[in-house]
Amino acid sequence: MQNDSERQDLRRSIKDAVSKRDAVAAVKHGRDLLAVSSKPADVMFCASSFAGITDVLQDQLRAKRLKAYVVRSVTVEPVLPFLATEAVLSNYVLDLRVGGYGSYVDEMLNPRSELAKFKPDVVFVLLDLEEIAGRLPDLCAGGIGVGVEEEIEECLVRMAQLLRSFRSGNSARLLLQGLVVPDLASLGDVGEANLRHSLTNAVQRLNQKLAVLCSTIADCVFFDVDRLAARSGRARWRDARMFYASRLPLSLDSFRDYSRGLVRSFSTLFRAPRKVLCTDLDNTLWGGVLGEDGPEGIATGSAFPGNCYLDYQKYLKQLSSRGILLAIVSKNNEADVHEAFQIRSADIALSLDDFVASKISWNEKSDSIRELAHELSLGLDSFVFVDDNPVECEAIRQQLPEVAVIVTPVLEPWKLVEVLAEQPFFDAAVVTDDDVNRLNEYKSQAQRAELASSVGNRDEFLGSLGIVCTFLSALQAPLSRAVQLLAKTNQFNLTTRRHSAAEIEKFASVAGGQAVVVRVRDRFGDAGVVGLALARNEGDSCYIDSLLLSCRVIGRGIETALLAHLGEHALRTGAKRLVGEYIATKKNAPCADFYSDHGFAQRVPSEEVHSDSAFYELDLTASAPTSPKWITLEGKESNELSASAVFTS
Amino acid sequence: MSSQQVPSSLRDILADVLEISPEQITPDLSIEMVESWDSFRHLQAILAIEGEYGVQFDPQRIPELTSVSLLQSELEKKGATL
Repeated sequence: MQNDSERQDLRRSIKDAVSKRDAVAAVKHGRDLLAVSSKPADVMFCASSFAGITDVLQDQLRAKRLKAYVVRSVTVEPVLPFLATEAVLSNYVLDLRVGGYGSYVDEMLNPRSELAKFKPDVVFVLLDLEEIAGRLPDLCAGGIGVGVEEEIEECLVRMAQLLRSFRSGNSARLLLQGLVVPDLASLGDVGEANLRHSLTNAVQRLNQKLAVLCSTIADCVFFDVDRLAARSGRARWRDARMFYASRLPLSLDSFRDYSRGLVRSFSTLFRAPRKVLCTDLDNTLWGGVLGEDGPEGIATGSAFPGNCYLDYQKYLKQLSSRGILLAIVSKNNEADVHEAFQIRSADIALSLDDFVASKISWNEKSDSIRELAHELSLGLDSFVFVDDNPVECEAIRQQLPEVAVIVTPVLEPWKLVEVLAEQPFFDAAVVTDDDVNRLNEYKSQAQRAELASSVGNRDEFLGSLGIVCTFLSALQAPLSRAVQLLAKTNQFNLTTRRHSAAEIEKFASVAGGQAVVVRVRDRFGDAGVVGLALARNEGDSCYIDSLLLSCRVIGRGIETALLAHLGEHALRTGAKRLVGEYIATKKNAPCADFYSDHGFAQRVPSEEVHSDSAFYELDLTASAPTSPKWITLEGKESNELSASAVFTS
Repeated sequence: MSSQQVPSSLRDILADVLEISPEQITPDLSIEMVESWDSFRHLQAILAIEGEYGVQFDPQRIPELTSVSLLQSELEKKGATL
């Protein structure tokens, strides 16, 4: 029992790490244990080990703590240790609370329910077919479909009502689990496949409609559990014995896939996807080593094994079509690589133009990635590094722990796409126009950098860019973009408050409130919606709750224009003073002096105010901030759309 | 043959699931003696034991297996190697 002694060793290491309160080691050994063992006792061992060190998980690994409430119609308790464990492996600490069977309406809508009192960060809605469309199996069994579509529509109306009513009273994020398509139905396999109103087809239609419904509700994601069931096999997914005896909808074998899938789905509500994929070339983008095999000798194209690499290239190209930036990080001679892309262009699905940048040299790869981060003004936590060489991968893990590392299977190139697809790094439940345009924007950034070096004077340079700022109410622009900005802006973000869509709407709708986004374009391109500010008048002061700007546009005076815009609006709605707030984080040092640079005076810290915040004041009647002369402003009246346009003067 | 000894594999599973120390797992230990051993823990324990030994219990027997020795003898009946 080689495996068993390995298990025992790992369990001892975990115990050891827990007693030393070493979260990094505990999670590492936990991950290793679960890679060699799928025994439920081991998962439960990890769950209780991790539960004892939640504080260090947060301190050392900066795990995100979430209060999660489970609303359900089936038994979920045995799955919870698996869920908690998978959550820790994805760097979350879950405080789980489970509601009663079938009491979800009261729990979700009653403001005094257990759920409401728990004040969850996220609610998992796990209801089965019997609960949400219980008549469907009987209606579908008739074969001709009497009443089937009506039942689907009724179910949708009920769910829409439930989720919308919940949303109007609670800003917790929502995960709605879809339905598993039943495997056994009285129409039989042939009828289920051929009849339009079969249960299989009806449930699939219902799932699609539920997913669309979720996309219309702020901070709500659809969890497609049927996709997971289909991948692992529907017959294996369920254990009929346990379902009939205990209403447990999953077999023990499915607990982990299920938990992992659920964590992956709710993650998109809390974390922005990574933005850059750095790929190695030899034995990753193509087979073989260019320096040894030559451009004609490397494997790529329609014949095996080149087609494995071709599919990997196509997958990268697809990622890039929704705004994931591609970069080459390779130890090679640059001229050889250019030659290979030219000679083998018919066999490679990517051209050098598809990459936002390439680092082809004999330098350390960690240096190359650092340079890329600097050139693109992106944090290292936006990067994913893909390489076949375990030594290179380990070096990146150690030197740049923020970078996600994927080791490609050099001996099994047919698994390249699978290895990439099973990682959650690029998951997004929403794609915006700004995402799609990102490649061009980052390319123009490189061009701008070139121009900057040819024009000496800063103002002259900025003037030559022809910057145009358009101010819009956050409600006018896609709200999802505003939420995305709040979620992922770290460097130029004065308070780093991760507000939800519902909270942004509140700023826009309250009297004397402002929720403004700024769209920026210049002669090189349209950067899209890149900045946001939230503010609210209290008495004769306008408090700036949030002010942030995407790091790719900072240093061009846009932050000043945004501040001037806030000030003007504050004056118009009766405020005499602008109050700014700064909360220092590990990343936002670039904007630490923002308010003092704009003439604000720092308030003397008082005892009762939250100690992390520094407050700054500016007398608007004496010196209102003005927008830089090189910026053209548009859409200054747009705030009429927000309810805040109450003129008091 | 002695019922004084709980096989170590079974002892470890129950210790993990019930979150108590392995030394506390004696043949006489039963559901009412352990605070954490509620109906859901019971289900978890059953699933963990089934997974470990590759057996399936009859759902009607499951609620009756309320002590370590009852679990052990049911496993032996199913032919599991402990």
